[in-house]
Amino acid sequence: MVSDVSMAVDLGGIKMKNPINTASGTFGNGWQFEGFYDVGQLGAITTKGCAAEPWDGNPAPRMCELPSGIMNSVGLQNPGVREFVRSYGDYLQGLEERGCRVICQVAGHSIEEYVRALELFEELAPFASGFEINISCPNVSRGGAAMGATPEAAAEVMAAVRPRTKRPIVVKMAPHDVAEIARALEAEGADALSLINTIPGMAIDVRTRRSKLSRPTAGVSGPAIHAIAVRMVWEAHKAVSIPLCGIGGVTSGEDAAEFILAGATAVSVGTQNLVDPTAAPRILGELTDWAASQGVSDINELIGAFEC
Amino acid sequence: MQPSSKVHLYDFEVASNDAVGEKVYRLVMRSPELASELRPGQFMNVAVPGDASHIVRLPFSFASTDPEAGTVELIYAVVGEGTRRLSEMPAGSTSTVVGPCGNGWDVKPGGRALAVAGGVGAPPVIAAARALAEAGREVDVVLGAQTKSRLWGEDDARALGAGEVVVTTDDGSYGMRGFTTQAMEALLARHEYDLVVTCGPAVMMAGVARLAEGAGVACQASLERMMTCGFGACSTCNVAMRAGGYKSCCMDGPVFDASEVAW
Ligand SMILES: Cc1cc2nc3c(=O)[nH]c(=O)nc-3n(C[C@H](O)[C@H](O)[C@H](O)COP(=O)(O)OP(=O)(O)OC[C@H]3O[C@@H](n4cnc5c(N)ncnc54)[C@H](O)[C@@H]3O)c2cc1C
Ligand SMILES: Cc1cc2nc3c(=O)[nH]c(=O)nc-3n(C[C@H](O)[C@H](O)[C@H](O)COP(=O)(O)O)c2cc1C
Ligand code: FES
Repeated sequence: MVSDVSMAVDLGGIKMKNPINTASGTFGNGWQFEGFYDVGQLGAITTKGCAAEPWDGNPAPRMCELPSGIMNSVGLQNPGVREFVRSYGDYLQGLEERGCRVICQVAGHSIEEYVRALELFEELAPFASGFEINISCPNVSRGGAAMGATPEAAAEVMAAVRPRTKRPIVVKMAPHDVAEIARALEAEGADALSLINTIPGMAIDVRTRRSKLSRPTAGVSGPAIHAIAVRMVWEAHKAVSIPLCGIGGVTSGEDAAEFILAGATAVSVGTQNLVDPTAAPRILGELTDWAASQGVSDINELIGAFEC
Repeated sequence: MQPSSKVHLYDFEVASNDAVGEKVYRLVMRSPELASELRPGQFMNVAVPGDASHIVRLPFSFASTDPEAGTVELIYAVVGEGTRRLSEMPAGSTSTVVGPCGNGWDVKPGGRALAVAGGVGAPPVIAAARALAEAGREVDVVLGAQTKSRLWGEDDARALGAGEVVVTTDDGSYGMRGFTTQAMEALLARHEYDLVVTCGPAVMMAGVARLAEGAGVACQASLERMMTCGFGACSTCNVAMRAGGYKSCCMDGPVFDASEVAW
């Protein structure tokens, strides 16, 4: 169906031609999907979390299957900002030129490390339309989710990174205390919030009494968490006025539409990219059809249009 | 250099899917483009329909391709829910497959080669042995199984013109009683090799790698990991390296220089 609904959205200064983004860590750094479709048609991509220096990540096994989802303990394996830019900078620059916004995710174990990584990105990654600060990774022992565990801790990170760039800063939030933490981040100058990161879970091999993964706990993602994520986006929407990116278990245009109605400006496709590599453009098509079926001329009219 | 991806999403149709042993199946899929692209040692990531609550694809190596017929031959063991549902896909049913994934064997010409397989590690090892024979090498094959009813690959090994074909079973129900590494030691004592290729349980491959290293023979091993995507997008398939750090099983592997792996 060809539709004339305007799909362009503004995620805190990141001007996307449509609301479809990809969730960090589930989309490589974009180029892996070029064999499946033209990635340039997406509104944005978010690259894998990257720190100032390389991180090895956690031992294997890092993934197990769950009913309607998976659990992962990758632990932010990344090559460091310099190597990231050397390997993927030209590709990402080209992607920007094709009209797809590139959001680079920034990781750290401490406030100093977030600042250092962001400074490096600021200097070396002119192609980035914005940055996403990951204060919610459940798979690292220091930093990660601990940095976003309380409104005070989240605010401290935000206050430290804000002066380091004029480009938009999105903050990736953990799946708890969403309203309070969202308010703290907004107060410190976050341009947008993305939620949710994976939900900490456990899977035990009862024969060996050991974890099915290399760590006792890991992050649950996929359709199993979608309803929880929609609820949290709605809570954040009621708490703040900065734009939101809804993440969690999106497999269809209908799932994406739920996030928009709950108050999200953009929607990221995550785990589904890995098991259904052509999911993102299909979901974009379905979302566009849905917007047209709602009789609006602009998708922005549907943001937060949930009726209760 | 710009990174680029040659991995695609293809439809396939099941041409046949039959038991060839106890809980061991042979599935021939029709997928012409995939069949023409796959190189020995590469793998594919298969969506098995029938239960929407299982979202993950299953990775499989292949035993052979027939580019003319547009078919790919998989040999697989039923070990859990996904492979059980795969075994129930009738001829004519369809799904999708991601591939070709990974790097494949290095099968350039050279001296005598030894191929060592355990269990359902046999398909990629048979594919390697065939490619090595086609490259003009003499190839010996060791096939190990728990028991006779679970053995696959002996006929294929003989058909590809392997020199010696040695079968081992853990319970002695067929061939030599014992492990593939014992058969390998005997062969190493008799022949001069310049390459070992292996796939099977991790403990077996570690033993094969140790023997090869001891004999000063290069060894390529095809590793298995829990995989989510199969094309480098998720970092869930890490392999620890001797030199430290990790490599990606689906992109840098599944075939690794065994001397570089931290077994
Ligand atoms: C590159 C590669 C090539 C492979 N080639 C073949 C092949 O040619 N023939 C074949 O029979 N099998 C092959 N496998 C293994 C096959 O993918 C698994 O047996 C299958 O995914 C199990 O699915 P399931 O749902 O039936 O089992 P589950 O219920 O998910 O698990 C059953 C058991 O299998 C193990 N397992 C699950 N997934 C994997 C995996 N990805 N790798 C290793 N073990 C796993 C689990 O730890 C568990 O012990 C290959 C694996 C990889 C990574
Ligand atoms: C394999 C894997 C790796 C991930 N890596 C990251 C990461 O580096 N940074 C991050 O913020 N989130 C990471 N996530 C979380 C996703 O971005 C997303 O928030 C989460 O998976 C929920 O969305 P989904 O259900 O659509 O996958 C990862 C998720 C998976 C499955
Ligand atoms: S399975 Fe996703 S990177 Fe290897």
